This record gives sequence, structure tokens and C-alpha cells, in this order.
Amino acid sequence: MGFPLLSLILFTPAAGAAVLMFLRSDDAVRWTALVVTILDLALSIALLAGFDTTTHEMQFTETVPWVPALGITYALGVDGISALFVFLTALLGAVSVLASWVAIERKVKAFMVSLLAMQALMLGVFSALDLFLFYVCWEAMLIPMYLIIGVWGGEGRVYAAFKFFLYTLAGSLLFLIGVIALYFHGGETFDILALTARDLPFPVQAWLFFAFLIAFAVKVPMVPVHTWLPDAHVQAPTAGSIILAGVLLKMGAYGFLRFSLPMLPEASVYFSPLMLALSALAIVYGGLLALAQDDLKKLVAYSSISHMGFVTMGIFALNLRGLEGGILQMFNHGVTTGALFLFVGLIYERTHTRSIADYGGLMKVAPVYAVFLALFTLSSMALPGTNSFVGELLVLSGGFAANLAVGAAAVLGATLGAAYLLGMYRRVALGPASVSARFKIRDVNAREMVAILPLAVFVLWVGLYPKPFLDIIDVSVKHLLAEVHGEGSGQ
Amino acid sequence: MTDAALFQSIIASLPEIVVVTGACVLLILGQLVRKGQEHFLVSASVAVVLIAALATLLLASEVRPAYSGMFIADRFAVFFKLVFYLATILTFLLSRKYADIEGIASSEYYVLLLFALFGMMIMASATDLLSIYVGLELMVLCTYVLTGFLRRERRSNEAALKYVILGAVSTGIFLYGVSLIYGLTGTTQLNAMAQAVTGNPLDPGLLLAVVFIVAGLVFKVGAVPFHMWVPDVYEGAPTTITAFMSVGPKAAGFAVILRVFLNPLVAASDVWIIVAVIAVVTMALGSFVALVQDNFKRLLAYSSIAHAGFAIFGVVAGGQDGVASVMLYLLIYAFMNLGIFGAVIMMRNGDFSGEVINDYAGFAKSHPGLALLMLIYLFSLAGIPPTAGFFAKFYVLVALVERGFVVLAVIAVLLSAVAAYFYIRIVMVIYMREPERVFDPALTPMVRATLAFTALGTIGIGLFPAWFLGFAQQSAAGG
Repeated sequence: MGFPLLSLILFTPAAGAAVLMFLRSDDAVRWTALVVTILDLALSIALLAGFDTTTHEMQFTETVPWVPALGITYALGVDGISALFVFLTALLGAVSVLASWVAIERKVKAFMVSLLAMQALMLGVFSALDLFLFYVCWEAMLIPMYLIIGVWGGEGRVYAAFKFFLYTLAGSLLFLIGVIALYFHGGETFDILALTARDLPFPVQAWLFFAFLIAFAVKVPMVPVHTWLPDAHVQAPTAGSIILAGVLLKMGAYGFLRFSLPMLPEASVYFSPLMLALSALAIVYGGLLALAQDDLKKLVAYSSISHMGFVTMGIFALNLRGLEGGILQMFNHGVTTGALFLFVGLIYERTHTRSIADYGGLMKVAPVYAVFLALFTLSSMALPGTNSFVGELLVLSGGFAANLAVGAAAVLGATLGAAYLLGMYRRVALGPASVSARFKIRDVNAREMVAILPLAVFVLWVGLYPKPFLDIIDVSVKHLLAEVHGEGSGQ
Repeated sequence: MTDAALFQSIIASLPEIVVVTGACVLLILGQLVRKGQEHFLVSASVAVVLIAALATLLLASEVRPAYSGMFIADRFAVFFKLVFYLATILTFLLSRKYADIEGIASSEYYVLLLFALFGMMIMASATDLLSIYVGLELMVLCTYVLTGFLRRERRSNEAALKYVILGAVSTGIFLYGVSLIYGLTGTTQLNAMAQAVTGNPLDPGLLLAVVFIVAGLVFKVGAVPFHMWVPDVYEGAPTTITAFMSVGPKAAGFAVILRVFLNPLVAASDVWIIVAVIAVVTMALGSFVALVQDNFKRLLAYSSIAHAGFAIFGVVAGGQDGVASVMLYLLIYAFMNLGIFGAVIMMRNGDFSGEVINDYAGFAKSHPGLALLMLIYLFSLAGIPPTAGFFAKFYVLVALVERGFVVLAVIAVLLSAVAAYFYIRIVMVIYMREPERVFDPALTPMVRATLAFTALGTIGIGLFPAWFLGFAQQSAAGG
């Protein structure tokens, strides 16, 4: 066991949250939170820099006994898939602090503590190699997120926070039973790698698959358990929405990748048509709902359902392109939708309305804002040259290879995406400035630019030169596929 | 009994002797204490319990049967006694200021608590249906009186009366079961019972006897269908006594249940099916009825019914892990429940009762630190990691799934999702509503110490459960 870089990444925000407790002035709190998240981001970049892309083995592993009587350990490690999300989490963490700089006026300290606690737990989810540790982090996130939505959210925040809490809790509890059952079927261990190596009989796999599916589907969220998402997104403060869309939704998909596929391969193959159908449904249904929205934030929220449908479709296409596309799309969605929520937040801070009908002609009053909004809107509809194009193309080609009808539905969904996104952009940014003129709208300031720019860089970088990103996940994905299809899984 | 055996018996029951002697001395001293000097009583009572705890730990190294098979000092008993000491000491610490506010000036309050502790200790160590009965009655007699301690309050009188009548009925049922057992097997000793059965262990007479005993015991832990007294008694009793009852006597009830239910005679009679049904119904009733409560104490009463149901799931699982899971659950429950009760007791000040949940609106704004503590206890009661409450539930579920009761485990977790709702609702009131009043919590150093200690336990056991788990497992094995 070498230098505990992963623990450092995990405990930096946790320690930061502890330090914040002792600070008095709001500005000191903000700056400290920013420094902590930037430090964490730097550490996660160091992780990527030291990452060996030629092996699927877990790297930077650490193991410390935790509850030896039950075989529970504090075990961390990352492969290509998780390394990418550790980085994404750290990136969006810093962006969230910047996004809540002026948006959060009351109880700044408590908010930043929640935000940093969230970050520590999310990083824990992506780097846990022990199922118990994973579950603890997965579930503990409910507490800070519940507070973030419920205390700092909009008008209907209490209802939205409740709904979020109960949906995720109910889903996760069945997952817990699945985890315990897996523990006994897998030889009384919570070691994820050891459990992956086990061959479970198909009936066991099948019911475990459903126990896990409920938890992951709620988090993704897949239709029909998606209804908490629009409420939560609309009511959450901007930083909350960024975290929700950028990282939290990824956890469900990550769960499929880390548990369902490698541990329950036969069940995954067997149920993949069902999963593909649900994904196609999410893509089209989410797109249609987004088309009907007038609330800017709701539109982005429903588009998330549609986009996450692409992710699950890519995963359950169970071929190389689909999987790589799905994972890349998870990253892209985090960047792009995170940015879109940031933009919604920026305009809301200035106008205190989210109704699209209240805007118009932003191009004239806030040109920089409008230009960057265009970039992220185009990225969201997967225009060539942007990040989502690469991901969506891979998913579509994987999807068509898996099932023609599902691929066709996805294309329909992509068209819908173009319709609602272009419509949104036209009504918000173009046209006469008469409507939005009654608000005194300032263009983005330097602090906001600092939050926007890195996201914009990733939109173009992945769009124009996706190779480094695909390289990170490539070997891990191939290994995952081999495990699913039972080739070379004896290694 | 020879002199040597008597001496051994006295050694084995030394902690009990310490407590009962201390209680008697305090009973006399209490009459001499002048007004305004009551803190002497608190310190003296705490000292008595601490000496008893010391004696318990010193004697914990070996198993000591005593009083011709009526009593045993083993690890199992040690574990429960430590839980009782914890509950009693924290109740003492919480009581001082509260007693002033409520105008409870008499020293009997502390003495009765010590006698109740004595009864609980006998229950934990009893290995004979008769000594179980003696401990049980001693404990409940004290709690009857303590429940009615707010003499001027109608609610308190009513609660005490209800408690006495229903308690007497349940005792009668229990004794009837004991007499049937004695008639059929010729013994009341737990170990001798199974051997005494020569014929079919599923003899309807025996089954009936077991059912009666189960009914009597289930009353004490407040499980369905003998739960009706719980909300009224919890609401009417002084809050400190409610806190005590929800932890100490309940744990004592479970100590007896574990000893009796794991007895081969009872285990052979398929009684677990009844117990499983009781567990499910108890948890369901506690969780669903708690949803509509506006009174904090009533809500905690239903919550304690639901928690009893969850712990009974551990009894259903049986085996070493099952027993250990119940024990660990009770230990953790002692921390988190005394914590939340400590918060409610602290709120009782001046004209503020602290009993209506909506009165807590905006508490987080004026007292962020105390609100955070309440948040920790509530999330722990709801079973959300990384708090201890999660680990308690987790281990019960492990025991259930290990025995193949997956369906029961699923029911248990779904019902805890329901239960989570009302705990989270309180968090919502505390954190997400605007304050309507000025809060002036009655925070004495003792109350502070209690809150800090329980919070430490609630978080500490959650993060580092290994030692406590090992302790529970060893204690279960030694029983």
C-alpha cells in the first residue's frame, strides 16, 4: 500500500467541512470552501496523471480492516471508470462552490458544510471497493442532500426534499437486502472484487438484479420512478441541481457498471431487452415532457431523464461501443447539464423568474452569457464538435447493434432533443430584448467565468479530441465486457 | 445451601446488593436532605450505580451460577446490566433540572429509580421463571409509581392507573403460564424445563403455557397486541421517566425474552412463527400510527413500539447472530433514544412544554448546535448511515438473511422506510420552518454532558462498530 492518495481525496473535503464549523465570517467560509474544493480537484488531477491506462486492475488501492467480525473493510481503489467520476465529482465540487457564492445568502456556513460533506461521500461511492462502505456513503448522502434541497431550495422545497428522500431511501433499502444476500451467497465477504469473481446461480442473480435495479433506477432515474427528479431539481438551489444532475444521477448508472453487470452477468444479459426498452421509453418520454415545459429549470430536468436514457441504453447494449459511449455520456452529461443548471441559476439570480416566456433577446443584453449558453445548448443536443456528439454516436451505434427498434427510438429522442433545446434557445436568447429589458441584467462576471470556463473547455476537448478520455476507460470497459460475456473472466 | 455456596451466591450478586443497599441508605438520607441540596441525591445515586458497574466488570471474567439455579452472573447478564447502568445514570443526569421545573422535590424519585434498576438487574440474571417474576414485578412496581409522579397532573395520574391495571393483567397472564409450566414439567428452572418434558414438546398444554408466558413478556416491551398502554403512559409520565422506560425496562424485557425464547423447550414449539407475526405487526403499527402524531412524546412512544418490533426480528432470527443483533440494537437504541429524549427534556422550561412537534419550528436558526444533535439522533433512529442506528438495523438484517428469512428482511426495511418519514418530518420542522418563538432550553452542565455523551455514542458506534459488535457477540455466546 503506497501513498494513500484516494483517502486524501476523500478526507480533504471532510476535513474542510470540519474546519468550516469553526469559521465565523461568511466570506471566510466561502473562500475556505473554494480552496478546499480546488485542492481536491488538484488531487484528483494528480490521480488521473498517475493513472495507468494499460491495466484494468484496481489502482491506488488501500485496505484497512473496519469490522473484521463481518468481513467489512475500508477498502478503496479506482479503475478507469471510477477514476473518471472521481475527477468529475471534484470538478463539479469546485463549480458548485462558485455557483453558490452569492446565490446562498442565509446560513452560508451550514450550506458549505453540507456541500463538502456531499462531496466526500460521493467520492466515497466512486472509490469504495467494499460493498458496505459503498452502501454507507451511498445512503449517507441523503442527509446533506435533503438539507440542501429542503433548507436552501425554492418555494416547494419541503415537499421536494421529502419526495427525494423517501424515493431514494425506499429504493436503497431493498438494495441493502440485496447486499446482505450477496454477502451470504458470495462467501461472507463485502469485498467487491471477490464478489465479482463469484459465479452465482441464475435464479439468485435474477432476484438480486431486481433488488439492485430498484435502487439504481431510482437514482438514475429511469421511467417510471423518475418523478422525484423534476421536483428536486426545480426546488434545489443551483449548486444542488449541479450536484444532482452532475454526480448523483451518475451513481445509479455507476451501480449498474460496478455491481449489476460484473456480479450478475447472466441476469444482465437476460434482462437487457427490458432495460433497453425502459431506456428507449425514458429517452422519448423525457424528451416529450421537456418539449412541453415553460420553466427553464424543469426543461433541463426533463432533458436529464432523456439523456440518462441514453446512458442506460449504452450500458445495456452490452457491447463495446455502447458501454464506452454510455460511460462517456455520463461524464458529458455531468459537464453539460451541470453547466446548463449553472446558467439557469445565473439568470435566475438576476431576474428571479424561471419562466422562459419572461426572457428574450438575452443576446443583446448579455452577449457573453448567450454565447456560452449556445455552446452548452448545442452540446446538450449533441452537435458534432461537442462532447455529447461523440458519446451519443457511440451509444447509438451500440444501440442499433443491440436492437434496431430501440436504436430507432433513440434517434427519435435525439430529434426531440434538438426541438426543445433549439426552441428554448430561440425564446431565451434571440428575438427582441423588449421582454428581458425590464430586468437589469448584467453579463457574466469574472467569478462566474471561472466556473463556466473549465466546463466549456471539456465540452470542446471531449468533442474534438475524445481519445484521452476513452483511453482512461477503454481497458476497464473491455475487461467489464469480458466479465459479462464470460470470456477470459478466469483471470 | 452451604455457607460456601451462599458466599459464592453473594459474590455473584454483588452488584445487585450494592444497588439495593445504596437505595435503602438513600431512602433514609433523602429524608434528611434539605431543600436546595437535591444535587447531593443525584451524585450519590450516580455513585451507587458506578460502584455497581465496577463490581459488575470485576466479576465479569467468569460465569457464576448462584442461589440454586435461580440466578446467574454471565456475560449475557453483564451486557444487559451495562445497558441498564447507562440508562439509569443518564436519567439521573437529565432529571435534576427537570425535577426542579416540574416541582418534583421528593428524594423517593431517585430511590425508586434505583429499585427499578435493581429489578432490571435481577431480570437480566434470572434463570428461573420465579426469579424472573420477582425482578419483573419489582421493576414495574417502581415504574408504576414513577409514572404517576406528577401528582397534580391529571394525565400523569391517568397514565399510572392505566399502567397499573394493564400491567397487573399481563402479570397475571404471565403467572398463569408459569403455573402451567410447573404443572406440566414440575420445574420452573429454564434449564430443567426442556429436560423435564418426556413426551411430545408440542403438547397443547405446553404450547398454551408458552403462549401465556410470551404474552406476559411481550407486554413489557410494548409489542402488539399488548401495546395499548405505551402511548398513554409515555405521554403522561414525567419525560425523564419516559426516557428511562423506553430504554431500561424495555431492554430488561428483551433480556428475559432472549433467555426464555432460546430455551430449547420454547424453541422447539415453533413459537417463532408467533414471534415473527408479532414483529411484523408491531413494526407496522408503530410506524404507521406514528405518522399522524403531533405530540413528540406520543410519537416517540409509537417509534419505540416500532423499534421493539425491529428488535423482535432479531429474536426471530435466533442463533448467536440473532441474539447478538438484539443486544447490539438495544445498546445503540439506549444511546440514540436517551439522546432525543434528552433534547425533549431540555426544551421543557418555563411555560414551554416541548411536547408539540410544531413548536420546534425554526429551532435550527436559534440553536444550530443543539439542532444538529437532534438531527443526528433522528437520523440514527431512522437508520441512516453513518449513524449507529443504521448499523443496529444492518446487523439485525444480516442475522435475518443468514437464517433465510429474506421476506421478513424485506418487510422490515420497507417498514423502516415508513418510519423514516416521521423522523425526517421532525428534522423538517426544525430546519425548514421559520421560528415562531424564542427558545430557552434548560441547559445545565449535566444535560450538556448527557447530550454530548449520547451523541458521541450515536456517531461513534456508527463509525467504529467493530468493538461493540464483538462485545455483543461475545456476550451472546456467554449466555
